[in-house]
Amino acid sequence: MASHHTTAAPPIDPLMSVEDLAVSFDNGSGPRIQAVAGVSMSVYPRQTLAVVGESGCGKSVTAMSSMQLIPRPPGRFDAGRIMFEGRNLLELPEHEMLKVRGGKIAMIFQEPMTSLNPVYTIGDQIMEAVLLHQAVSPDEAARIAIKAMADVGIRDPEGRMRAYPHQFSGGMRQRVMIAMALACRPSLLLADEPTTALDVTIQKQILELLRGLQHSTGMGMMLITHNLGVVAENADVVCCMYAGRVVEYAPVTELFDRPLHPYTRGLFRCIPGLSELRNRLVTVEEVVADPREYEGLRSDAGPVMPWWPFMDQSQRPALDDPSRPYALVEVSPNRWVGCWRTPEVARTPSRPPRIAPA
Amino acid sequence: MATYLLRRLLLMIPTVLGITLMVFLLVALAPGGIGAGLAVQGGQMSDTSKVAQMQAYLEDRYGLNDNVLVQYARWLGRVSPLKFGTTPLVAPTGDLVREPRDLPEPVMTWAFPAPASFVVQYTPPEGEALVADFKRLQREAEGTRRTYVGAVRGLKDALADHVRALGAPWTARLEPKGGADPERFRDLPLEGDAPTLVALRAAAATMHSSWTEAEAARQRATIAFLARPYPAAGIEIIPNAFSLGAPDFGVAFSRNRPVWDLIATALPVTILINFIAFPIIYLVAVPTGVLASVRRGGAFDVISGLMFLLLYSVPVVLTGVFAIGFLANNQYLGWFPVSGLHDSAAATMTFMPYTDDAGAWHRGWLLDMVWHLALPVLCLVYAGFAVLSKQTRAAMLENFSSDYVRTARAKGVPSRDVIISHVLRNSLLPLITMFVGIFPAMLGGSVVVERIFTIPGMGSLVIEAINLRDRELILANTFMISSVSLLALLLADILYALCDPRVAYD
Amino acid sequence: MRGIGAQEAKGFWADAWDRVRRRPGAMLGMAWIAVMGFFAVFAPLIANAHPIRLERLGADGQVVSVEWPLLAYLSPTDWLLMIATAFGVPWIFLGSGRLGRAGRIGVLIGLSMQAGATIVLAALLIWAAEGSGIESLERLTRLDAGPWPLILCSAVVVAALASAVPVATSLSRRIVPIVGAATLGFVLSWLAGGQTLVNHEQVILDEAAGKVRATWTLIPWSSQYTRSDMVGIPPGTRVADWEKTASFKGTPFGERRVLLGTDAIGGDVLGQMLWACRLSISIGLVSTGISVVLGVTIGALMGFFGGWVDLLLYRVVEIFMSVPTLFVLIVAAGVLPRNTYVMMAIIGFFSWTGAARFTRAEFLKLRKMDFVQAAQAAGLPVRAVLFRHMLPNGITPVLVDASFAIAAAITIEATLSFLGLGPDGQASWGKLLSSATAATGTFVWWLAVFPGLAIFLSVLSYNMLGEAMRDAIDPKLRKAAH
Repeated sequence: MASHHTTAAPPIDPLMSVEDLAVSFDNGSGPRIQAVAGVSMSVYPRQTLAVVGESGCGKSVTAMSSMQLIPRPPGRFDAGRIMFEGRNLLELPEHEMLKVRGGKIAMIFQEPMTSLNPVYTIGDQIMEAVLLHQAVSPDEAARIAIKAMADVGIRDPEGRMRAYPHQFSGGMRQRVMIAMALACRPSLLLADEPTTALDVTIQKQILELLRGLQHSTGMGMMLITHNLGVVAENADVVCCMYAGRVVEYAPVTELFDRPLHPYTRGLFRCIPGLSELRNRLVTVEEVVADPREYEGLRSDAGPVMPWWPFMDQSQRPALDDPSRPYALVEVSPNRWVGCWRTPEVARTPSRPPRIAPA
Repeated sequence: MATYLLRRLLLMIPTVLGITLMVFLLVALAPGGIGAGLAVQGGQMSDTSKVAQMQAYLEDRYGLNDNVLVQYARWLGRVSPLKFGTTPLVAPTGDLVREPRDLPEPVMTWAFPAPASFVVQYTPPEGEALVADFKRLQREAEGTRRTYVGAVRGLKDALADHVRALGAPWTARLEPKGGADPERFRDLPLEGDAPTLVALRAAAATMHSSWTEAEAARQRATIAFLARPYPAAGIEIIPNAFSLGAPDFGVAFSRNRPVWDLIATALPVTILINFIAFPIIYLVAVPTGVLASVRRGGAFDVISGLMFLLLYSVPVVLTGVFAIGFLANNQYLGWFPVSGLHDSAAATMTFMPYTDDAGAWHRGWLLDMVWHLALPVLCLVYAGFAVLSKQTRAAMLENFSSDYVRTARAKGVPSRDVIISHVLRNSLLPLITMFVGIFPAMLGGSVVVERIFTIPGMGSLVIEAINLRDRELILANTFMISSVSLLALLLADILYALCDPRVAYD
Repeated sequence: MRGIGAQEAKGFWADAWDRVRRRPGAMLGMAWIAVMGFFAVFAPLIANAHPIRLERLGADGQVVSVEWPLLAYLSPTDWLLMIATAFGVPWIFLGSGRLGRAGRIGVLIGLSMQAGATIVLAALLIWAAEGSGIESLERLTRLDAGPWPLILCSAVVVAALASAVPVATSLSRRIVPIVGAATLGFVLSWLAGGQTLVNHEQVILDEAAGKVRATWTLIPWSSQYTRSDMVGIPPGTRVADWEKTASFKGTPFGERRVLLGTDAIGGDVLGQMLWACRLSISIGLVSTGISVVLGVTIGALMGFFGGWVDLLLYRVVEIFMSVPTLFVLIVAAGVLPRNTYVMMAIIGFFSWTGAARFTRAEFLKLRKMDFVQAAQAAGLPVRAVLFRHMLPNGITPVLVDASFAIAAAITIEATLSFLGLGPDGQASWGKLLSSATAATGTFVWWLAVFPGLAIFLSVLSYNMLGEAMRDAIDPKLRKAAH
């Protein structure tokens, strides 16, 4: 463990790194909604970063921000940057962004049933992406599209090119979405809950397909999900979010072995296991409400206390700056935990979360 | 596709039946009934008994005394392309000739026994002679029947006179308007020689003699008819039992002309106006709605929305009156013609505008029509702008936030292409459906517009028909307007099915 | 996200009302509707050719006798409307007690619906009792001519029926006062009695001759009072300045002004326009009421029962939808008696399909929802599931659309009146408008502009209100706005 601590600089640069991103939304007459409040994470080539957390914790907003797909207004980038190939994606002009979207970064969404345009054929929709990003003739584009469909395991791709989305099942549509996303060989795939709407056997097929494609193309993948089973089987690195902030960031095996933040612990504890005999399940609320759960964490800055927005005022440590209560602290090598930003933490800032593939 | 079309067409039949039945009942059950218009017409005659006889004749001719549903069934039988019963014949004039109808029974048979029924012996000649014979017999049957119906009415009048002479309590049984229903006076004593009673007996005798004459004439005319002086109408499947033929809308009470002739000149006018108006509505409203949705909340959105709402709130009658008064009337601007579809000299105009040798400009037939139609079409279109542009805008906004637009944007499709090929393409579908809502309303609106601008379309025709209580005309109008409306809706459905791949035909 | 960006919860309708109130257009519309409503109720007191007070003078100028022609003229409907408005409106705004303002509005709406239903039922009963015929139908629209036991009877029946509909528990608890109110109202209206007419011409001549002293209303012209010597006077003219009536110079009559001119038969336009508010408002409200009740009932039946009920009734809806409504309305209005109640009924009867389709769609959705299934599973009777659980949820889009329906009904009334198919003997904006373009080909601008403006503003007001309500309530549009 200690030997790893010294390997400070990762051997290669991350494909994309999100640095202190903050996004807020206009809420009509009410105060602005801070959907993302200082989030950092990074994805390397061939790596799968799983972003987990409950609905509304800011997972999707982070992914959508990197494509500039947040409608602005009402959305607004308050702070931070998203670096990709040496450029800040948040500041790219629209015409530059058009080349990135679909070309270098592709995205697939949760709802395969509604994510395809019902009035165009599958072929048209895949070819549209190809023609936008590659200087090829329509015939060539059609060949690429057919190959992409074959790659994702669609039988009779030539015949299905002329089919309409409503003639496909949910799982097949998601395959079409993946084919569309990967037809232009992106270096990064953002998968926003790609399997949530599908039934379990199809989920497994789709995830296996994604993993296989990732191996063959070497792309990085950001997998947004709230299913810990999916995380365990597919992710290399896990980023756990709550209320617009990262609460824990760790390699997948270490996180599953020993979660450090009470919220993460709560998440794991409320999964029923076959081997355990418990009278009742523990809820996340019970875990995070227990003051003992917050003890025992240390970092280079000394003892630190995990950050939790609903913690009693009396239990909170003294902060360096009340307007910035939170910091992501590396508590042990390659293990980051969201902590209260005490003066000690503020004095010894941690390096941004980066876990290079082995 | 063919089965889909067929099913849709079959489904229209009950709809058209429902509409016409509704209107039929409305016209028939309305206070005053169908005869009300006739009474108004007859009111100009001086002799009231003549009016009564005339009315009795018309009631008999159009079968107004039968049960309403029987009348409706009869009307339906004539309109239906499938015809049952004796096949009608076509006279060389093009008029349909039907088998002479049975005579109504003589009344008061308990007091004045009806003459015994008889069978006339008559062998119709052949060839040209048959046609001449039939024409004569037909006229004869008509004339004697008219006399007989008048005599029945005369008997009823004589009965009413007698009852009035008897006084209370008998008079209580009279109809509110003073007529006498013979069935109510079965127990009326008929002995004695009061002058009214003598008149009553005389009336009965007249009735009987005219019945005998009419019945004989009817039988002869029937025999001549069955000998086929003219060719049969339509296609005869089973002779005198089942045939196919064009709908027969009958003869308009008020004008004594076949209803079809009137409709054939009026319907194209109405359809023309509507089919000019429709593209205008779509061409104005759809781009406005699209622009408004793209710049949602912007100045264009707010102003166009408000302006269209203002326009939407202006009733057609108001625009019509203002347009006629300020734009067309010579008191003010006088830019447009006040009425009609064409100039009185339109028949002599060339089709296209031209400048003659003297350098004078002639607008020609086409421009003349445009000039005449400008105001009516204006009145017809503006209300549709609000409905359609609002719908476009809503559909666009809904599609803007849809998942597949997000997918398209994630693919890197430029904003303009997203709007045009994804958002707009999908928003067009509800616009086709909107047609279903707008078209019937526009047909209704054109009634008013035609009335205001005195355009000889269906609207003017129906208002005339209503004022005269001309049942045949009202019914045929309703039938045609509903059919046009339904066909337009079918067209919209087919269009929708062609545009939306999700719709299957079967 | 717990606690982030959350706002204090507000009731659904209170929230909607707040949104509506923020729209200046909607508020202006409501103001205009209120003005129209005021004139609709008080027009007989404001514009009337009957003097309020008539003093007959003796030869020496002594007051011989005093009459109150206006009070004698007022019909039972006038009395009922004025009393209800005079007490009801202050009660809504100033009243206190357990009922909130919304509750008080609800009670008043309930009462007026009940009064309307009673009138209709009484009309039908009288019609049935006296035998059919145009004459009796004409007569029964003036309730003063009807036999009062029938009216009372129908009031009780309607009250009983109203209490059987468990829309709100409060209504059923108020059954006794409702019955009392309805009974009292109709006995009162019956006692209020007939319309004594004064010979206007004579009063005006007598006044000029100094034989009587008359106190006139604000606008001393009735909707029905016409003078053949005053045809086509332009707006703002003094009676004495008009050539044909110059002989009245120096008399009180000669000093009067026709503010908005006179029409083609010598009636005052302003007087008629004020009276026409009543026709417009009542036709708009009542016919929409009829169509909403009819549409919601049929739509609820279709949506709740589905199956063949739905199949059958939906064919009926299709028939009504695909036929040009205005066309059929013209036919119906043309052949039926020219009468306000008939017109309300036919407009209502030919425009219920919208409400039915909305309700059906909502009910089809609601039927599958958990709370309805839970209510059914709990063994609640069909009636309770329908009215208590489904109706309040399913009726929202219908109510939102009602404002547009009222606007449409006003337009239809104006159109029919314009075509000469409007109620007989009633002042109407559409009728005035139609006389603007006379057969002679001259165009009388004031007959087009003033009534036209009134129609336009009324329709616009209801449309504005409807627009605001739709934006406030329609969740789909609200979602799109965020």
